[in-house]
Amino acid sequence: MSSYSNACAGQYCNQGWAEVLTHMSPYGYANFGIAFGLGLSVVGAAWGIWLTGSSLVGAAVKAPRIRSKNLISVIFCEATAIYGVIMAIILANKVKSPDDASYYLDDDWDFAGFYYAGYGMFSSGLSVGLTNIASGVSVGIAGSSCAIGDAQDPSLFVKVLIVEIFASALGIFGIIVGIIQSNSCNFPIAPLE
Amino acid sequence: MATTVPKAPAGGMATFNILHGFPEALVRGMRCSFLADSDYHHMTQCDTLDDVKLNLTETDYGEALADSTILTPSSLQEVAIDKLVTEFQYLRTQAVEPLATFMDFITYEYMIENVMLLLKGSLSGRDINELIAQCHPLGMFKESTMRSIPTFESNAKGYSDLYQTVLVDTPVGPYFSMFLQESSEHMGGEVRNVLEEVEIEIIKSSLIKYWIEDFYQYVEKLGGETAVMMGELLRVRADTTAINITLNSFGTPLNEPAMRGSDRKRLYPAVGHLYPAGTAMLVDVSDEEELGRVLELFPQYSSIWNVHSSGGADKSIDDAFYERDVQMLELAFEGQMHFGVFYAYVKLKEQEIRNLVWITECILQAQKDEINKFVPVFSHHAPWRSLKSR
Repeated sequence: MSSYSNACAGQYCNQGWAEVLTHMSPYGYANFGIAFGLGLSVVGAAWGIWLTGSSLVGAAVKAPRIRSKNLISVIFCEATAIYGVIMAIILANKVKSPDDASYYLDDDWDFAGFYYAGYGMFSSGLSVGLTNIASGVSVGIAGSSCAIGDAQDPSLFVKVLIVEIFASALGIFGIIVGIIQSNSCNFPIAPLE
Repeated sequence: MATTVPKAPAGGMATFNILHGFPEALVRGMRCSFLADSDYHHMTQCDTLDDVKLNLTETDYGEALADSTILTPSSLQEVAIDKLVTEFQYLRTQAVEPLATFMDFITYEYMIENVMLLLKGSLSGRDINELIAQCHPLGMFKESTMRSIPTFESNAKGYSDLYQTVLVDTPVGPYFSMFLQESSEHMGGEVRNVLEEVEIEIIKSSLIKYWIEDFYQYVEKLGGETAVMMGELLRVRADTTAINITLNSFGTPLNEPAMRGSDRKRLYPAVGHLYPAGTAMLVDVSDEEELGRVLELFPQYSSIWNVHSSGGADKSIDDAFYERDVQMLELAFEGQMHFGVFYAYVKLKEQEIRNLVWITECILQAQKDEINKFVPVFSHHAPWRSLKSR
């Protein structure tokens, strides 16, 4: 496909910075998307768990009754990591190895299809990962306040839990959008005839 | 004096819990151990101290009182203070920088009190062991340090010797050195003779003033929520100190017009709502009426002053200050992720201990009509809470 008009003649010269992005392999994009999706989700979940866990442990020294109830906050944080894992598994199943491994692409290589799939998976991984960082930190801070408030006044637990539920909903938004984005992204494993 | 700089940032909402989540949550859990309205109610109904002891066994003080046989106000105070100190030491061992320095600042106040107690006691010729037994446990130095304090003379040379040899290694050393420096500057080099007239109280007020200023600078450098909450608490503390110094100076040589500008002015802390305009006005105040007029300009203090000026029948000005302090310290517990809760916990526990001693003294002396003049902590019937039923 000679849609790129060559202003320069040599083999190694290129058109500009745009070529950096367009020449990265769509497989690279897709797999980085999986890594970001999973990695950032786990960062968010871990952040949330240590935020809430330290408060839970400390407050439970003098008020042991809060121990079991407040593990719900830890479970909410863990859920954000699970969203990341779900997204990563869905995306990983879409990445198919090419039929023939060749260094040079044929003229009739399906650029559009491959790049559509690659970009789609990268951005859906980012959607899930970044929203889960925010959700994890938010649930962590709310969970820390929940544990401390529960230690002082047991009637506060359910009320602060509602705050956590809303914070946890942020992660769900991420995975919903991520699934929609990556829905029609399929690597065309056969070159177009 | 180089102000103490925090060795690490305190952390905002998202990072505070890394280092300080556990100690803060410990203090929050310990908040449950304050005596409730029902406990105070039962205790004020008691007729003998044994009944009081029976009521206290169900509260958090139960374990601590299990060993003692007879309850007296002073034994109750000792047991309660020991319990507070144990809890404070536990929190202190769990703390890392910058919380560790913050908690040390809380103890410096008690160290200053102990040093002054030893100096004053040695002047009146009391036994050193008796004095050490009376020292506040939160501010203890090494045994050798404490025993050597009363051996110094109470004149200018003695004080500077005391500083050089003993106090310079202690955390309150910088405050003492600033005091000596300021006295010598002020007296124009004639340190030796003039300092003999300086009383112990003035030394103590100066040391407390430097402590408040140092603490305030530290808290401001920490920034964030701690600076907001703790800064306000320290400003109010500084104002209380300034008003008390002025009030207590009436009728003493410190109230002489010559002494006011030079000596009394130096005792006012350089932080607080009253600084700088209010303290400048307080310098010229010579009696209670003028003090009242100055305080009218500051709404938060005029209501407290009116309690005093209306005769102080049910409440003295100290009681009004205690009430206002309890209200502000309870507010420190309303916010999370700041260091103010540690300071508030110590001060509110002290208030509770004062309440317990008051109640037991009233029962012992059979003065039941005075018994309700205490300020309960975290009470649902506090005048500043809304009167919705719980």
